[in-house]
Amino acid sequence: MCGIIGCVGRGKDTLGTLVHGLEKLEYRGYDSAGVALGGAELSVCRSSGKIGAFKKVLTERDIAGPLGIGHTRWSTHGPPTDENAHPHLDCAGEVAVVHNGIIENYRSLRDELVAAGHTFTSDTDTEVIPHLIEDERDSATDPETAFRSAIERIEGSYAIVAVFAGTELLLGARNDSPLVIGLDEEAIFLASDVPAFRDFTDRVIYLEDGEIARVDGGLEVTTGDGTRVEKTVSRVEWDPEETGKSGYDHFMLKEIHEQPRALRQCLSGRVDELGGTVDLGDIGELRPSAVQFVACGTSYHAAYYAALLFESAGIPAQAYLASEYATAVPPIGEALVVGITQSGETADTLSALREADRRGARTLAVTNTVGSTADRETDHTMYIRSGPEIGVAATKTFAGQLVAVNLLSLATGEGETRRREIVPALRDLPGDVQSVLDDSTAEEIAATYHDAGAYFFIGRGIQYPVALEGALKLKEISYKHAEGFAAGELKHGPLALVQEDTPVFALVTGDDEAAKKTVGNVKEVEARNAPVVAVTDKKSDVAMYADHVLEIPDTHPRSGAVLANVQLQLVAYHIANRLDRSIDKPRNLAKSVTVE
Amino acid sequence: MTAKPGTLKPCDGYVRSMHIRTAVVLAAGEGTRLQPLTSYRPKPMLPAANRPILEHVLDALVDAGVERLVLVVGYRRRRVQEHVGPSYRDVPVRYIRQEKQLGSGHALLQAESAVENRTIVVNGDRLIEADAVSAVAETFERDTADAAVAVVERDDAGEYGAVRLEDRDIVELVEKPRTGNYRLINAGIYAFDRSIFERIENTPREAGELALPETISRMLEAKRVRGVRTDGLWVDATYPWDLLEMATEVLVRGRIAERKRQTGLWVHGDALVSDDAALRPPAVVSADSEIGPGSVVGPNVALGQNGTVGANATIERAVLGTGSRVGHGATVVDAVLGQHATLGVDTTIPGGPADVRVGHEVFEGQRLGAVLGDRVEAGGAVSFAPGTLVGTDASIGPNAHVSGHVPDDAEVVR
Repeated sequence: MCGIIGCVGRGKDTLGTLVHGLEKLEYRGYDSAGVALGGAELSVCRSSGKIGAFKKVLTERDIAGPLGIGHTRWSTHGPPTDENAHPHLDCAGEVAVVHNGIIENYRSLRDELVAAGHTFTSDTDTEVIPHLIEDERDSATDPETAFRSAIERIEGSYAIVAVFAGTELLLGARNDSPLVIGLDEEAIFLASDVPAFRDFTDRVIYLEDGEIARVDGGLEVTTGDGTRVEKTVSRVEWDPEETGKSGYDHFMLKEIHEQPRALRQCLSGRVDELGGTVDLGDIGELRPSAVQFVACGTSYHAAYYAALLFESAGIPAQAYLASEYATAVPPIGEALVVGITQSGETADTLSALREADRRGARTLAVTNTVGSTADRETDHTMYIRSGPEIGVAATKTFAGQLVAVNLLSLATGEGETRRREIVPALRDLPGDVQSVLDDSTAEEIAATYHDAGAYFFIGRGIQYPVALEGALKLKEISYKHAEGFAAGELKHGPLALVQEDTPVFALVTGDDEAAKKTVGNVKEVEARNAPVVAVTDKKSDVAMYADHVLEIPDTHPRSGAVLANVQLQLVAYHIANRLDRSIDKPRNLAKSVTVE
Repeated sequence: MTAKPGTLKPCDGYVRSMHIRTAVVLAAGEGTRLQPLTSYRPKPMLPAANRPILEHVLDALVDAGVERLVLVVGYRRRRVQEHVGPSYRDVPVRYIRQEKQLGSGHALLQAESAVENRTIVVNGDRLIEADAVSAVAETFERDTADAAVAVVERDDAGEYGAVRLEDRDIVELVEKPRTGNYRLINAGIYAFDRSIFERIENTPREAGELALPETISRMLEAKRVRGVRTDGLWVDATYPWDLLEMATEVLVRGRIAERKRQTGLWVHGDALVSDDAALRPPAVVSADSEIGPGSVVGPNVALGQNGTVGANATIERAVLGTGSRVGHGATVVDAVLGQHATLGVDTTIPGGPADVRVGHEVFEGQRLGAVLGDRVEAGGAVSFAPGTLVGTDASIGPNAHVSGHVPDDAEVVR
């Protein structure tokens, strides 16, 4: 995915405002960046590399303008080079365009435009847009008519903002990619995400698919056929400070430490601590006879965990990788289809949800992003209320997802007895997470094992998805080989990989049959002389067989999974930090993947 | 945007270039003499006007340029952790737990792993200013001292850690001497390097406790301990009624985060004050609170967040905790109300002076109307004799007259 921004009304501060917005959007992509400033002539500056590199290039240029657009890119079509960086221009240099998404029919459009005499300078799909607009302007007099005609011709997903030479006009359009409008007293902003302009205003309008925004002195939103749309202005509740690093070395570390607060917000007003009840509004009236979860990456691990909760309540439930689900849809029957996506814009998850919707299923989104596509396209939405997450590796939002699906399962599937048992554990969870953060010795574990050849994570039952997530987190930010396994599977193959220099993280909570069996697996590992790090509440005797222990408070196993994950987040962070990795922006990854 | 607590901007002159990056805040103590107000929160979380004392302390540190905050927490630690969270005004906060409250030296010792080199150390339960923090840090560095300690002048120096200075060095530090002619006290703002940890460990325990001043007084002979005289805001609360004086100090000095309406009057943008109510400065009205018509509020009143004052009430020199409610026609003078305390219609707290008993001690002639613990409920027309202390969760029936000390959870029926 990419990040785009446009602003009108910032006067001399236009360039600074755009660059600031791009820095805030850098989590959405960071392999090239650029801006175009409006005026009698358009001034464009762009370069490959992160925003820092782009700012260096900017210092050698002297450009200004009363309005402009900017872009930070994550490559889909064409490598990250200066030429492929946005904004893209038409032949005459009279229109500049930034775009997030994929133009599916760009090949045929490009061929057609080349045949008509247009010259292309990049490998991107985006470049067809300015040339299309140029082409349409030959027959239309004003920029807006040309823009609308061009939009009509493109297929695929897009959020687009265009600026025209000789006007003080920005035009924006969206289809399947996010675009929000920020309203300040003097200025108007268009951006992929709110943090881009949150330092200036907390008043936002969420654009819908197919709508076109015209921003000059004021704002006008219309549908594709030109009908005016009355939009409601929402207020974002979080502070600008929440999107800064607050003195932490990395967003990831800050976000790990924000978990107690994030979980408190997730629970707030939804659980009655005394009555042991859960209130999710109309979602609480759902009584699904079966549930299918669809998600990708970290969210898939939350989905797996969620499916276990419903199954334990006797409701058939399964977790699917969204990309697989969308192309090979299983029989849905009466199942509720739940998409878990932090951003609400994950393309694979959206297409899985759309497939389910097309087959008549009731759909629900578990997301962190109000006004996101998943939020708007599903029948129900449960917000995880984690606040903005900037680090590419999900931490607090994963914890928020685990708590949210606990509430979902308690409200729609599980009985009174379960609620009385789980609600107090959830209520204590923010404080328990704080204890883990205060007392963790993960940094020492990282110091001991940061140069190991590979890392394995094992867990059983509810701890299995945590093992998967622990391995994914480590992979993402340390670039080390890490795998998570169901503890019982170890002896069926992966044990062959276990050696003296491959630490094994064993997740063991409680002292039931499952815990005892996992302790048995730990002994198998110990016999191969691999170092064992036990993440445990110390109820079992796993500590006897482990070289190190990362302790978590004694609580219900469902909360224990969240706590064990916090320890593994810290391990991953400190290993990556020792290896001096780009923790908040790991190579080849983007925060939310809005392409399939 | 309206300022929220904790976003007080540093005033001119507060920001100093300081090379000590870390500050350890000792915030684990209970403050037993402040009962019933400390039943559910540690002393640093008690209100200095309408914000916790701890916030003022953290503001002073951040304004002085501290870049890492280490909070030692213990008693009711979750109240601190939930309130402060992972960072304060963009400065990251790390928490260290003191499981047993075995003195200030013991508390600091727990933070050893969080201190890399030199550090500021302050008490989390006393109002201080950034200037004093900067002065201590600068003196410590400039004079390459073994320790630097802020000292302030107090008439009642014999009640605190009394200090004698020679030139600029501390030559005597003695706890509560009661006798002798002392004018200066230890203000509880220190600068140390890591050697302090070993010194604390080598200090003999007294009754199982390790007091930081004891360690410092053992350093005086062989080491250079600079005393840094400061004359800014410094307020301690030992007894519940001290919170009234503390609120006055905060209001008079304008250390308030809410938007100023006029001189000495701060009203949050989300507060609802009737046009027919009179606010007398100095006073602060916090977010989401409400004041009904005909009420007279102030001078020296801090109305906490979500507080409600009905119609025709009179409130003067009072600290009303978060969520407290004062009924129509009530009179509240010289009073401290805990969180979510409720006073019925026509309740009277007429104000001091009074003789107040705390434990076995009697404090004569204190200007105190009443202290009500968290969630105390008083029915209509209850009257409080001057100097009454009411424990947490106590409930007082309509028309009752109460005096002396009402224990926690008590039910008073006339």
